Amino acid sequence: MMSPWLEIIDPLWRDFDRLKQEIERVYEFGSPVGNIRGVVKGAFPPVNVGETTDSVMVYFFVPGIEPSKIDLTLERNQLTIAGERDTLPDAGEGATPNGYYRRERFCGKFRRVISLPESVDPGKVEARYTNGILVLTIGKKEDEKSRKIEVSVS
Amino acid sequence: MAENRESGIAVGRGERAEAPAKSAVRPLLPPVDVYENDDGIVLSADMPGVTKEGLEVVVDKNVLTIKGSMADIIPHDIKPLYAEFGAREYERAFTLGPDVDAHRIEASMSAGVLKLFIPKSEDVRPRKIEVKAG
Repeated sequence: MMSPWLEIIDPLWRDFDRLKQEIERVYEFGSPVGNIRGVVKGAFPPVNVGETTDSVMVYFFVPGIEPSKIDLTLERNQLTIAGERDTLPDAGEGATPNGYYRRERFCGKFRRVISLPESVDPGKVEARYTNGILVLTIGKKEDEKSRKIEVSVS
Repeated sequence: MAENRESGIAVGRGERAEAPAKSAVRPLLPPVDVYENDDGIVLSADMPGVTKEGLEVVVDKNVLTIKGSMADIIPHDIKPLYAEFGAREYERAFTLGPDVDAHRIEASMSAGVLKLFIPKSEDVRPRKIEVKAG
């Protein structure tokens, strides 16, 4: 099944984008040009934002973190996620940082700020953590919800 | 001969024309940690959204393949505004050396993190050699 997230990514560039991402990961380069608030592709945690008629949905991909160790704040339409992930215990008891062959998973403190559409209502937020994905449902302000307009026949 | 070659090209083209449809949704490459201790190799992979049911770990000859598909956490009818995760499938493969015991791989999945333990074969585990006094 085609993922709706792909519709906003031009198919022609998808393969190049993937290649770029893989090269960036190998050399641990971030993009040299980024948003001043830190929204750089490849930052942790990755995020998807979508919307329905009456809410904005935010998906943070934060596997292996205790939900209580994630700090979320929403100030007007600025959403901040901060926290820490330690991947060392995943390698087993008594693991040391120099016993790795590969260490690609994010380890350490993170903080990301994303701008949401202006229509979000900071008073109507709900957060749920399921299988490593943190799902935020943020209601839209009443007067900014899209409405279906009925056309009456005269 | 020329005809054969032509038909061969035609088949090749046909395959090529099909390829984009097949790879329309390229699976994501999950980031992994690979750690070795005395007993074996510990592999951890970030696969957010995958549950035990959506996971497939296969060892074919010496190739270990990890596949996962996201449970329906993200509804399909949502209108996307910004996306860094463009797929719902994960896939990654590794070759295993002859020194591991592929029959005794243990797998567990929790909070979107897959953990695999690939034990070393009995005969390659490090042994402490006792030195006897002469």
